[in-house]
Amino acid sequence: MTLTSTKRLGATYELQRGYRRMIYPAVIAVGIFAIVPLAGMFALAFSDYHLLRGTNWQFGFKNFARLLSDQRLMNSIYVMSILSFFGVATQVIIGTAVAVGLQKIVGRWRFGRILFLVPYAVPHVAVALIWLSLFTPTLSPINAFFDLFGITVPSFLTTQGGAMFAIVMADTWTNFPFAMLIILAALQGISPDLDEAAAIDGATRVKTFFFITLPLLMPALLMVTLFRFIDSLKHFPMIFVITKGGPGRSTQATNFYAYVQTFQNSNVAYGAAIAVTLFLMAALISFYVARLNQRVSQ
Amino acid sequence: MKHLLTTALVASFALAAPFAPTSAQAEEINVVMFGMPYTRGLQKLAGDFEEKTGIKANIDVIGQDVFENRITLSFTGRSGDIDVVHAPVIQVQRWVQANWLKPITAEVDAMPVKGDLMAGPLDAYRIDGEQFAVPFMAATGLMTYREDVLEAAGVGVPQTWAEMLEIAPKVTDGDQSAIALRAVPGQGFNMFIFPMIMRAYGGKFFADYTGGDLTPAINSPETLEALNVYSKLINDHAPQGAGNFNFAEVNAAAQNGQIVFAVEGTGVAAQIVDPEKNQYADVTGLALPPGGPAGRSPAIAVHGLGIPASAQNVAASAKFIEWAVSTETVTKIALSEPFANFTTQPVAENAEVIAKYAAIHPDFLQVQADALNLAIGHYRPLLPEWPSLGAAIGENINAAVNGLITPEEALENAEQEMRDILGQ
Amino acid sequence: MGQIQLKDVKKSFGAVTVIPPLNLDIEDGEFVVFVGPSGCGKSTLLRLIAGLEDVSDGTLAINGADATDQPPGKRGLAMVFQSYALYPHLTVAENIAFPLRMAGLSRDEQSRRISAAADVLNLTDYLDRRPKQLSGGQRQRVAIGRAIVREPSAFLFDEPLSNLDAALRMGMRLEISELHKRLKTTMIYVTHDQVEAMTMADKIVVLNAGVIEQVGSPLELYDAPCNLFVAKFIGSPMMNIIEGDEAAKLGAAAVGIRPEHLDISTEDGLWQGTVGLSEHLGSDTFLRVHMDGMDNVLTVRAPGKVALRDGDRVYVSPQMSDLHRFDTDGLRMDA
Repeated sequence: MTLTSTKRLGATYELQRGYRRMIYPAVIAVGIFAIVPLAGMFALAFSDYHLLRGTNWQFGFKNFARLLSDQRLMNSIYVMSILSFFGVATQVIIGTAVAVGLQKIVGRWRFGRILFLVPYAVPHVAVALIWLSLFTPTLSPINAFFDLFGITVPSFLTTQGGAMFAIVMADTWTNFPFAMLIILAALQGISPDLDEAAAIDGATRVKTFFFITLPLLMPALLMVTLFRFIDSLKHFPMIFVITKGGPGRSTQATNFYAYVQTFQNSNVAYGAAIAVTLFLMAALISFYVARLNQRVSQ
Repeated sequence: MKHLLTTALVASFALAAPFAPTSAQAEEINVVMFGMPYTRGLQKLAGDFEEKTGIKANIDVIGQDVFENRITLSFTGRSGDIDVVHAPVIQVQRWVQANWLKPITAEVDAMPVKGDLMAGPLDAYRIDGEQFAVPFMAATGLMTYREDVLEAAGVGVPQTWAEMLEIAPKVTDGDQSAIALRAVPGQGFNMFIFPMIMRAYGGKFFADYTGGDLTPAINSPETLEALNVYSKLINDHAPQGAGNFNFAEVNAAAQNGQIVFAVEGTGVAAQIVDPEKNQYADVTGLALPPGGPAGRSPAIAVHGLGIPASAQNVAASAKFIEWAVSTETVTKIALSEPFANFTTQPVAENAEVIAKYAAIHPDFLQVQADALNLAIGHYRPLLPEWPSLGAAIGENINAAVNGLITPEEALENAEQEMRDILGQ
Repeated sequence: MGQIQLKDVKKSFGAVTVIPPLNLDIEDGEFVVFVGPSGCGKSTLLRLIAGLEDVSDGTLAINGADATDQPPGKRGLAMVFQSYALYPHLTVAENIAFPLRMAGLSRDEQSRRISAAADVLNLTDYLDRRPKQLSGGQRQRVAIGRAIVREPSAFLFDEPLSNLDAALRMGMRLEISELHKRLKTTMIYVTHDQVEAMTMADKIVVLNAGVIEQVGSPLELYDAPCNLFVAKFIGSPMMNIIEGDEAAKLGAAAVGIRPEHLDISTEDGLWQGTVGLSEHLGSDTFLRVHMDGMDNVLTVRAPGKVALRDGDRVYVSPQMSDLHRFDTDGLRMDA
């Protein structure tokens, strides 16, 4: 019977429209500065763009076919996995420990919160330089200290394990405050009554942490891990300054390798293909973590 | 479809680069360089240029890694936001191949200063008869040594790398090692130093570079011997952790008195012998880097200024370059900064400049001139592919030095990778 | 066994003393209610007993043994929080089992006790749910369940009903009272609501600014408040307090008379006044009478429905036997 074709807008239409308008700038910014370059990167990955060999703008799967048998890529993924796994794990564990400690501390020590944020504010290149000098035996106060007792500290940066350890340390030092901040915020959301209830129920501090606090922190922990993981795929400044990918190629993580192919070897298309692979890997893992997060927060 | 994609990806690059100010109309130019004494000195003089020409020069001095990204984005996007660019000779072949630099033969010919520039470095920028940049400095390899330690040990200054190996144990004492050399992988790091040893033993990159036969020939007994010497020096006679040293660590080791010898570029060597920088400077001598059976081949690195292909105001850019390498400007920088490896010849005759560097070290200018005379222009091959070749070789050399692979494997890998990069 | 003894117990936070030295004995099996206005220290006192706060000075004994420095888990007490403090990630069964798990009881014993508690508290159908899927009353019962499975020597309740609506509150009040009757375990119950105190307690402890004003059974406090504070605090509607000349005439600095102990008449009486607002509850009527020559408005309880209206002139007389007299310090004067 209704002949009017006017769509019902509903009572909250005005309100909703207001909120939608608030996200327009972000949509536009992401659209221009993320989607367009991303599309460009995908297009390049399928092209034959090479700065020196000449480019015919032929598109195909050649770059991806080559990726599959690229020993250096496989090595770089291995390096990246090690760096990301140990880096993120250490940051999350230390960040959580410090956050739990800080939250319980009252009085003057609360200043620790600000103190611990300092490393996060230092630019990555500066952090890398600090740690480079700490890991260079001739410059390091650590080595100087142990020399006093006649103990020789091995030089980290000349072995693969040591160099990775150095990068993980530098990365942890500068990024654990991020984990700490998020966990601290999550801890504020847990009622202190629960700790007290657990204490009365006969749980020790340690048991309270593992049976009560930790499970309740799970969603925050997953989120921190995801954020740090995605960020850890961009290890570039630490590697570039501390080891230059050495010794040999043993600390060339995947995005360092993409840099090598693009900027050093002029093979822009192949570099883009590596970047696309990295992007897809990160997206896939993020998707799984997000799903896990959903399950945990239920 | 093809055009659409091309547009999209060029747009993606262009968007990633900062938006270009409309410099041409405003008589304003943007200069991008990476940090070294000359560029920092030039940055401070930008006011002089504006006073002289009325053109405002925005001189950006940035880190080398940032520089690399910035120019690649700017050049590939043809954004025209750089009017004058720092052009290391080692990169220029690649840039020319990619059509990133403007040929400026006519502009350079018109510069009165052209006759004052050292011919070798200037010619290094001549490709297929066209001039692509103008040099401002030529760094060479030099050796510094602790006179007091050599005297105490009763040994002389080593003339060859073999002598160096012989002397090394005699000057080692507790915390004091014999030598430090750049070892960290990179065409400008270990590949700036290692070829000095390689060429001294008769090793070479290609079968016949000057004759045009670019068949990789690095896997030779000569280079292997050189690599063993290099590796032995770093592992047995250098401070702990030397396998990851770069120039900064070599410099620090020398200034802390932890090493007797350093073989370095002019910039670092100048600091090691400078009494204001180094407490051991007055007992530190300066000499040519050691040679070997095939002679002596000091490293050389030429840096200059060029004009990107996308730059719009070529006249203003050329004016800037002319001013930047002029005797007046270079003299000022030579006096204000630790900058002795200039390529503008009349500066060397300036009494103040002579006095300044004589005060630092009496032999400084002389040894540097000798080294420049001995240096060959293609110390590192002048090829568009060099940056990737240098990186690949450097990584293998570093892996061998740190014991990840044997020296034989390193050279075999390096040669294979060279062939791959050159598409042979 | 659940006997608790506080001797000269003092609590201060920094320079601020919230509880000056205080003595209190709680006998085994008693239902003791701490009542007082907010900020009077009743919760702090409960937390001192629980071990959630350190005692600044004095000693605390549980069942005759010194427990002053014992950690909360070792005191054998169970506590029910105002927020219920249920573990949100655990099911109802897991919540109830938590103290048993911590005590290392066998699985069989755990499930036996859980089902017994669930039975008593009507939670059997909800054992697999998580706290956020329960109503307020159900959550309260889970919290109680978690307390009773431990078989503690005393239960501590910290304003357990204040988050519930009025109807539920009444029901839970009865349930807790019945629980006490069945378990015969000492219970200490903190509330600011004197109705809860009156209806549930064996013994009421009235607190004000950290000091115990009076300890006694509900009727003792109602019939013989030892000072003006207790007089005003216990009883609803509040006791009428008359000061000044009229009090002096009755031989006291202040006199108190409960609304039900005032007789109202339209013919004669001690005091005259005008009827203001009236609250008709059906069974009773509370009249607000503005008295002539007094600042006070007296609340008078009249049984049943009363025909008096706003503006009517009335006489009001206290029943002298139920008059409370207080001296200038506000202390009860015994006749």
